[in-house]
This record gives sequence, C-alpha cells and structure tokens, in this order.
Amino acid sequence: MANKANKPQLLVNGKRLDGRAFNELRPLKIEAAVLKNADGSAYLEWGNNKILAAVYGPIEAMPKHVADPAKAIIKCRYSMAPFSSVGEHSRSGPNRRAIEISKVTKEAFENVVMLNDFPGSEIDIFIEVLQSDGGTRAAGITAAAVALANAGIHMKDLIYAVSAGKIDGNIVLDFNMIEDNYSDSDMPMAISPRNNDVLLLQMDGHFTREELKKAMGMVIEAGKTITKLQKDALNEVYKKAEVKYEEGA
Amino acid sequence: MRDILIPGDMVASEPLRMENTYVENGKTFAKVLGMYEREKKTLVPLEGVWIPKIGDIVVGIITGTKNTVYEVDLNFFGRSILIGSKYERQSYKNGDVVEAIVKDVEDRKTVILSGPKILYGGTVLNIKPIKVPRVIGKNNTMIGQIADLTGCNMIVGKNGTVWLKGEGVGVATEAIRQIEAEAHISGLTERIKRMLEEKCGPRRPRTQETEGAEEKFE
Repeated sequence: MANKANKPQLLVNGKRLDGRAFNELRPLKIEAAVLKNADGSAYLEWGNNKILAAVYGPIEAMPKHVADPAKAIIKCRYSMAPFSSVGEHSRSGPNRRAIEISKVTKEAFENVVMLNDFPGSEIDIFIEVLQSDGGTRAAGITAAAVALANAGIHMKDLIYAVSAGKIDGNIVLDFNMIEDNYSDSDMPMAISPRNNDVLLLQMDGHFTREELKKAMGMVIEAGKTITKLQKDALNEVYKKAEVKYEEGA
Repeated sequence: MRDILIPGDMVASEPLRMENTYVENGKTFAKVLGMYEREKKTLVPLEGVWIPKIGDIVVGIITGTKNTVYEVDLNFFGRSILIGSKYERQSYKNGDVVEAIVKDVEDRKTVILSGPKILYGGTVLNIKPIKVPRVIGKNNTMIGQIADLTGCNMIVGKNGTVWLKGEGVGVATEAIRQIEAEAHISGLTERIKRMLEEKCGPRRPRTQETEGAEEKFE
C-alpha cells in the first residue's frame, strides 16, 4: 500500500482517472490455445495487464509422496516477470505476495476442478504476469480458467474473477494500479457463474454490509461480460471443429 | 445439430446419464470442453487425457520388472502393470514395446494389462489420445489407407502411443502428425490420401501383415 499522505485525486468531476464509469470494466481480450507445448493455455489482456496462463496435466504426481490416492492435486505458480511493473512491486521470484496469490488461486480452482476424476495425479497451473496494472490475481484466475478448459480438464464451471472497491465512498469496479494503491478498500472476488458461488474473496480495508452487497452485485453483473469473452475465446479455437466432425468415431 | 459446450454449460434440464457430464439439482451440466450431438445425446471431448477403460488396446513400453510383474509406461497419469503367467515362457525386459488389452482398472488409476504381445523393432510415436479415433478413422479407413499406401505396419494404442514398422515409417509419421494437427478440418481422409499418393505413388497390394494389424480395431 502506498503512502496515504500523497494520495492523488482518484475521482475528477465524478469520473475516474481513465474516464470509465463506476461499473465499467477495462477492455478485455482473451485468446485460448496460444502455447504449443502446454496442454492448455490462454493469453489475456485486461487494460494494461498482460497475462499468460498455461496448464499441464493431469500427469503423474511428483514427488510421489505428495500424491493423493483418492484425488488429483493442483499446483499453482503465480509469478511476475521482472519487467512487468516498476520498482519493488515486480521483483521476480517466489516472494510473499506471489506465494499468497498462488495459494488463493489454487484454492479457488480446487472447488471447481473435478479432482476425483484423476486420482493420484497432479494438475499444474502456471500464471505468468508479463505486464501488470492492478488486479493481476483476478486476471490470472480468469486466464487460468480458460487454460484449464483448453486442457480438457473436468471442471464444474468456467470461473472468472474481478475486483471491486471503494473510492471516496463510491463503489467502483475493476481497479487499475493507481486506484488499487490509493483506494479506501479493495476486494478481488472469484465467482462460479453457474450458481454465483464465491470462490475467492479477499478484502483490504472496510465495507459496510450494504456496500459489500452493492459491490457483489456489480461483480456478478460484470461477470456476464467476462464469461462471454472466455467462452468466445474457447469457441474461436474449435469453431472449425463444428464444421467437420464427420469422419472418425 | 452440434454445439461446442464449455464446462458448466447446461446439457439438459433433467438428470441424464451421459459421459463427461454431471448432475446437480436435477439438471445435467457439461464437465468438459466438448462437442454435443443432440440426436445421439453424446458429449465428445475435444481435449483431454486418456481415461482407461476395460477392453482398450494399448501400446506401452516396459519400464520395470519384478519376477513376473512388469511395469508398463502408457504415457498417462496413473500406473499400469502387466502380470505375466508363471507358466509363460515369454519374459520381457526393460525397453520392450508391448501391445496389450486393458483387463481391469483399479481405483481409476491402476491399469492391469493382459494378452501382451511384444512388438519387435519399429518406432514408437506419441500422439494426443483424444485424436486416436481420427487416426483410426471410421471403420478403420484412415489407418487402412496409411498402411496400404505406405506399406507400413502400424498399431495405434488408445493411450496415444503408435507403433510403426516398415519401409514407409517416415511418410506414415508425417501423415499421423498431419491428422493430429488438422483433425477438425473437413475432408481429412481425402487430403491424407492425396498427400500419401503424392509421396508413395499408387496403391500397393496388401500384405498379410497389414491386414492383420488393421483388423484389431473392428
């Protein structure tokens, strides 16, 4: 968190710095199946965030003692490229923040991936942040969900994540870096759109009960757009498959 | 009518018994990215790993031996073992390529093989297991065509391991790679046929062996 004393004005004439409305997402672009050597992959551009997600598996769990004979295990690695941001924030390697994000991402996916279908195996998720501009954990989860579907892993749902927060008493969706650093509170959420289950909720700062309700409503509303883009990205890859599935079993 | 379904898409508003789906609150949802055929009521996955089923023909490599129990590498997430008979003269050593049938699957991850047959010589190729039906083709058309035109013996395991032997191995490998890459594009059999004829000339007479290799998949 940056120093609150030199907080810049985040709302000018009731508008955000980048001119967005309070409930407006940054431009989002998703592409699936971008990496040849991974079983599943996705590339995502969300505002100035650029994120690459790759999935391997299910493969034999290594080392053997971590394998669970009844279900699959998920391993997740979130990492920021050394050139992804400025200063200490983009220090690459397994730092406290990267380990925390890896853990919450893993736990979000453990709720939707059908782990019992692949006993004794391991599913690897790699999230690589190439350029960061706030809300990378949410963007990482959104990209990893597409990569998991692209890898053909059994899942209950295609999840998405987005952040909401509070600036000067207004509830605002999808923070960018500067809003993230100086806002009053910030809440990334991961949601399963099928039944709106909350899979990740982290909160910096405070919300009243009504504010939280409003923020969740905004997240779920924005989720419809994100889910559609995720599905479009996957459909794009297999659009040709629909034309031809005649020969072969 | 075919649709691409994405995990979480509703297949039907009543509970159905269908592969690659799950039922929740009396409704059926897709659990894998796949092609849904309304008439046949099937969801065919577009990506994924091999999930062993009893009766699958597989090709594997022996990686460990312990008396008459052999460990076989089938290139999937579980492990597979081959239990040899005490009375059997045949023994296997590390590195042998075997063709076998899945006799049993324990805990959905341990595969018990039976009916092994050593495949001498040749080369082994790994492909995406999901593309195996396309490499075999409807009524073995594709595999028969490759075997005919290249004069190469081939056995395609359900686990995605292909064994090839014969003079036309190079061309056959190329054909298989092309099938893998273009599996979803229309007119595949024709294109592969044209490509093979260009490289190997016209149809060759069938040998006894190629016919045998083909019949296994009927």
